[in-house]
Amino acid sequence: MRLPAALLVFAFAARTFAAEGETAIAVSGTSAVPAAKTVAVDKIWSAVVLATNPPTPKDAPPELREFTTRLKRVFGYSQFELIGAASEKIDEQNESWLVPSQSFWLSVKARRAVSKEARGGYLLNLQLFHDKRPLLETEAKLAPGSPIFIRGPEYGHGQLIIVLQVQR
Amino acid sequence: MKTFEERFTAWVDGQLTGPDLSDFEKELAAHPEAAAERAEARKLGDLLRAQPAPKLGNADFFNHQLMQRIAAETPRTAEPVKARGWFWSLPRLAFAGAACLVIAGGLFKTLIPAAVPPGEKSKYYAQVVEAWPADPSISATTVYNPKDNVTVVWLDGLDYIPATYALK
Repeated sequence: MRLPAALLVFAFAARTFAAEGETAIAVSGTSAVPAAKTVAVDKIWSAVVLATNPPTPKDAPPELREFTTRLKRVFGYSQFELIGAASEKIDEQNESWLVPSQSFWLSVKARRAVSKEARGGYLLNLQLFHDKRPLLETEAKLAPGSPIFIRGPEYGHGQLIIVLQVQR
Repeated sequence: MKTFEERFTAWVDGQLTGPDLSDFEKELAAHPEAAAERAEARKLGDLLRAQPAPKLGNADFFNHQLMQRIAAETPRTAEPVKARGWFWSLPRLAFAGAACLVIAGGLFKTLIPAAVPPGEKSKYYAQVVEAWPADPSISATTVYNPKDNVTVVWLDGLDYIPATYALK
């Protein structure tokens, strides 16, 4: 019994060291630009997007281009304007705050998903606030390349959408 | 019990005494030639002792030569094989270490979830496990779109925000 236990401990230790090497964590603050992909860090990126249907739609900003097709298909709007974005390192020890705009912010508690199928994914406890008012609490699994869109309140002649994605 | 030859030699040398001597002399009654042999042996001994011993010039060298000759003429006997531990020899330890590494590597690959390398798209998709609206007037519906690999949380019942409200 000692040998398999020792091997398991060894494997977990190796995995831990490997994970630390892969996900050297760096804070990117509240920059509106997603981090460069050359830095191997896991971050959660959030954005508040205003979707509208103007007569002459403008192109989406670079930060939203990877989502534009999906946003159009899901919500049916033609123009997507970035109100604000924020990214934060994924800290499995502490709660993080994402403040993509003055009015909307998110509280995030993350931990790495342990199932083999969820390689690279995270289990998140999210709370969405509008000003100081909580709107939603959710538990979600997020992985790079698979975003979550939250349909927020209507704003003016458009719709507010909150986008969340794990970035590496 | 000494053999007859041993007791005969001791008798010739005059080393038998007491009951041993009387018992042996009774046995010698069956060997009439014994007295003559004893006389010859004593005569030879006296003769040798009467001759002056040659002077040995290099006693140490002589002893060394003698011992070498004895050693050369003595048939070699196989050295007894030391009883070795059947497992803890160096090659076996090395083999055991390598086997442990292989097994640990296998466990690491099969059991431990690893992050997806940068640039590789995860097959994992975002999932909303639970969603709890903060207000009973708000309802949350979750939709997963496999085609776009996107998960949408659709919130209904949120207050409308006028366009005059500053979002940024």
